[in-house]
Amino acid sequence: MSAPVRTLAALVLAAALALTGCQAVKQGAADILASTGKVSQEDAEAIVKTAEVLRSTFAEITEEEEYYIGRATAALILSKYKPLRNAALNAYVNAMGTAVAYASDRPETYAGYHFLVLDTEEVNAMAAPGGFIFVTKGLVKRCRDEETLAAILAHEVGHVAGRHGLQSIKKSRLIDAFKVIGSEAAERLDSEKLTKLTGIFEGVLGDVVETLVERGYDRKFEYEADKLALSYAVRTGYSPAGLADFLAGMDQRKPEGPAAGWFKTHPSPADRLTRVKTETAALGAVPAKLDVRTVRFAAAVKAIG
Amino acid sequence: MKKQVRLPVLVLALLVLFVILFAETVVVKVKTTAVRRDPKFTAPVVATIKAGDALEKLGEQSGWVNVKTKAGVVGWLHKTAVEAKKLDLLAMDKTMKTQASASEASLAAKGFNKRVEDQYRAANKAADFAAVDAMEKVKPTAAEVEAFLKQGRLGEFGGTR
Repeated sequence: MSAPVRTLAALVLAAALALTGCQAVKQGAADILASTGKVSQEDAEAIVKTAEVLRSTFAEITEEEEYYIGRATAALILSKYKPLRNAALNAYVNAMGTAVAYASDRPETYAGYHFLVLDTEEVNAMAAPGGFIFVTKGLVKRCRDEETLAAILAHEVGHVAGRHGLQSIKKSRLIDAFKVIGSEAAERLDSEKLTKLTGIFEGVLGDVVETLVERGYDRKFEYEADKLALSYAVRTGYSPAGLADFLAGMDQRKPEGPAAGWFKTHPSPADRLTRVKTETAALGAVPAKLDVRTVRFAAAVKAIG
Repeated sequence: MKKQVRLPVLVLALLVLFVILFAETVVVKVKTTAVRRDPKFTAPVVATIKAGDALEKLGEQSGWVNVKTKAGVVGWLHKTAVEAKKLDLLAMDKTMKTQASASEASLAAKGFNKRVEDQYRAANKAADFAAVDAMEKVKPTAAEVEAFLKQGRLGEFGGTR
């Protein structure tokens, strides 16, 4: 075997073995790579290490982990707000939200999408990781038709599809968590490691809940969710006008004094409206608003006045 | 020394290349989902699968993956429900089975999971997990979503453009 062929073969082998995650074989691969004489032992080990699948960022949080982060985030939101006791309205919102999720870029999450109306006059909508989506009664009352509510649900589905909530987790926490998870050779963590991981989990929830409830997402994620909302709404069959209608309405009802709820956690509606109008104009032919939907929306929200 | 490594290196490299080029297995990454007859959520269900199930990938079409289950049932799954199977040479070489591997299963047993949630719940009684369980129970079926679309003249039941 000629030297170049041998080097190529060794490189392919080293990279592929590194992907399998086997330490002994990886060391062997580095040795083989170094034995070609083309790279030093040190460089060979570095090449193998780079190719290794290391978990270090939010993107490597598994679907199941995202689900457990989402569940606990939802549990904390539900310790602050109570669910609205209106099964018919909740079923209507879930059918609409699921229809929008089906048309999204991420219709499948670990345990699917779930929607819930919260019993508060506060105006807000929140999406916990994995697909736990909340809209408040106060927000539903501000929607004038089904297109508007669908646009809001589509915006929240956009946050889930873009994994925006997970991106609010401090990187240092993830590195700590992945260290604990990766440190054990055993199939399960011992109780000391479990306690440590649970402590990190608590910190993770703090990051996510603070973002959802207090601080709001980074502006770029709100703009991205608006863009996705237009796309998902249109794909579902809705007129994209719902989002602009909602933002225009919110702009007119800006509260005096310090911003709270939705106004605190979102960029100014006027700012978003300008962008949304431009993006809507660029969509071309889109579905029209239909009376049949406005009529059923009115029936569904009648009980909450 | 060099002469001794030549043949194993070539054989292994070819084997690895073969696996990379021809492995067409996908693994389910969501808790449970349905394999459907056609590439759309409202199509009839032909099989139900769960996290970790391996499926043979036959093809892909606009976001949907055509798969064949272990039982031989052919159908469609949305691509967000599956991931490409990670290479696992250990499974091919049984003699090395004792080596620790960062397999999906061991990650799942050690990541943020039910055990972490249970420990968290024990220390945070205010977090309302019962309400989350109730929220999760509300899940419209594909047939209900289809009826919703039909009544609202949405999706394939629309047409007003």
